Amino acid sequence: MSSWFDKLTTSDTSGLPTLIQYLQAATKTRKLENTKTKARKFFSWFRDLVVSCLKTAVRMTVPKWRIHATRTPLILSVSKDELRRAGAILLASLLILGHTQPALAYVKFGVPVGGRQVTLKWAQTPVRYFITDFSIPGVTTSDLQGAVGRAFASWQAVPTSAIVYQFGGFTSARPGDDDGLSTLGFLDKPELDRVLGSTSFLIDNATGALLESDIFFNASFAWSVAPNGEAGKFDLESIALHEIGHFSGLGHSALGETELRAGGGRRVIASEAVMFPIAYGAGTIAGRTLRADDIAGVSDLYPDGEFNQTTGSISGRVTKDGQGLFGAHVVAFDPANGSMVANFALNAQGEFSIAGLSPGPHVVRVEPIDDADLDSFFDPDRNVDIDFRVTYHDRLVIVPRGADSGSIEVKVVRK
Amino acid sequence: MVRLVAATVIVCALSIPAHATVVIGADLGELARDARAIARGRVVAVDAQWTPGRRTIETLVTLEVESYLKGALGETVQFRVPGGILGRFRSIVVGAPEFAVEDRVVVFLGARGPSVPYVLGFSQGVFRVVRSGDGSTWLVTPPAILPSAAGSVAIVRGDPSRRALPLSDFEQRVRALVGGAK
Repeated sequence: MSSWFDKLTTSDTSGLPTLIQYLQAATKTRKLENTKTKARKFFSWFRDLVVSCLKTAVRMTVPKWRIHATRTPLILSVSKDELRRAGAILLASLLILGHTQPALAYVKFGVPVGGRQVTLKWAQTPVRYFITDFSIPGVTTSDLQGAVGRAFASWQAVPTSAIVYQFGGFTSARPGDDDGLSTLGFLDKPELDRVLGSTSFLIDNATGALLESDIFFNASFAWSVAPNGEAGKFDLESIALHEIGHFSGLGHSALGETELRAGGGRRVIASEAVMFPIAYGAGTIAGRTLRADDIAGVSDLYPDGEFNQTTGSISGRVTKDGQGLFGAHVVAFDPANGSMVANFALNAQGEFSIAGLSPGPHVVRVEPIDDADLDSFFDPDRNVDIDFRVTYHDRLVIVPRGADSGSIEVKVVRK
Repeated sequence: MVRLVAATVIVCALSIPAHATVVIGADLGELARDARAIARGRVVAVDAQWTPGRRTIETLVTLEVESYLKGALGETVQFRVPGGILGRFRSIVVGAPEFAVEDRVVVFLGARGPSVPYVLGFSQGVFRVVRSGDGSTWLVTPPAILPSAAGSVAIVRGDPSRRALPLSDFEQRVRALVGGAK
């Protein structure tokens, strides 16, 4: 059974009869399978998110609903009358939240130029890059070129992005040299413990134009280019994919979850963005696939003709005690496809905007970045507030096709 | 020579190199174990310089040490961080710490041989000491990721127990970890 969210794809009224029709049909089954067909891929906290959101809605509206939080899929057992009431609630949400406003900006690197922020991005494509003619044990320069080429190809294959890359050849130049070439290669940096790779930019300060970007991979670690990875070695393609995201102008994403290991250290247990700053452990190739957050970011930077027309955005503000809250992480979850795209509240008013969203209803969660090194996301002089509890917006937010949800407010409370 | 000239022309036209990284996550226990020294103090100088060969910019940070939680490198200690501001040029490292004079910090420092120490794990090895909202006490931020005492434990955002620790509590925990690592 397809999801009932699948039937609702736009803010226009054409989706409403479809929804009603589907709800009527669903009542005959007396069981409504939720949209979690891909739930096993989600974070454990995300499962809790959906359950919590639904429970909140249930308490407010349909107290007789019985909700079972299973591994996957999530099953709602409902009666015919209850389901009709649910349809009415959703329709009310649509009517309230379905109006449109222009979308704001997405999170990207920005540089101050003449008192204004200029988005860091390539002005012309194809973007040419070179590979340093330096190999390490187990990885030849040809291997390096192959892994890097596949990572570039992944970014270039995003259908809603227009960026194009081009391999320029091998070079004796090193990554980091300010020579006008965008160079990728290995450097031995034993002092940069726990740093697998790094991207650097050269920027025209007068215009903010990006003129050069280099990527180095730390040769102090063991690397693999094997198709399925190798135990004890970091996957070069995965790390290249992350660094090429920076190379293209994307900053870090906070869409990831870690755990403390019994033997010490932190391990990534799930990530919904290649641009999450902490790497998966050695031996895995889980980081080779771009996620919705990455795709939204690169598409917003280099939109093709359809991107702005086929996606929408959610905007609003996060408040605590009636005041705007800086630094809150705002996650938009699309139950229809399980995708997540996020952004931060980026000013003193607590305003945020999340672009590149698939049209349809979204769950919005606001959380503090209290498990991360804030310097990885913000300038150190910014007063990032992490003293609040995770909060869900109390309604589904409808993302219109080609437009914005209209401003919402999420009120959070102190821990 | 052509290359040098080209580089000079480019550098003169530019001003903001930036960097970004992907890292391996560490908890406070690992940082305490791996650190050559752990120092609390006040930043008294921040001096950017070209690396040898004028390839890129790094910054020497001078810390006036108030207390060592591990090791001892003198009343003042210098360490280096990637990036910095040098004339018209600025290098930014996402994931690497930035410092300003008068910052109060606890830094976990590594060192290899006689070289200038560096911060462990980029920004993972820096904790900032700030006044509480009412100004009554010093707090350490971000909240420390303490090692697990009972198997693998997911780190859950918004956990009410995860707060900026009072400085005295933070130092007590670090000293305990240092002692346990011996």
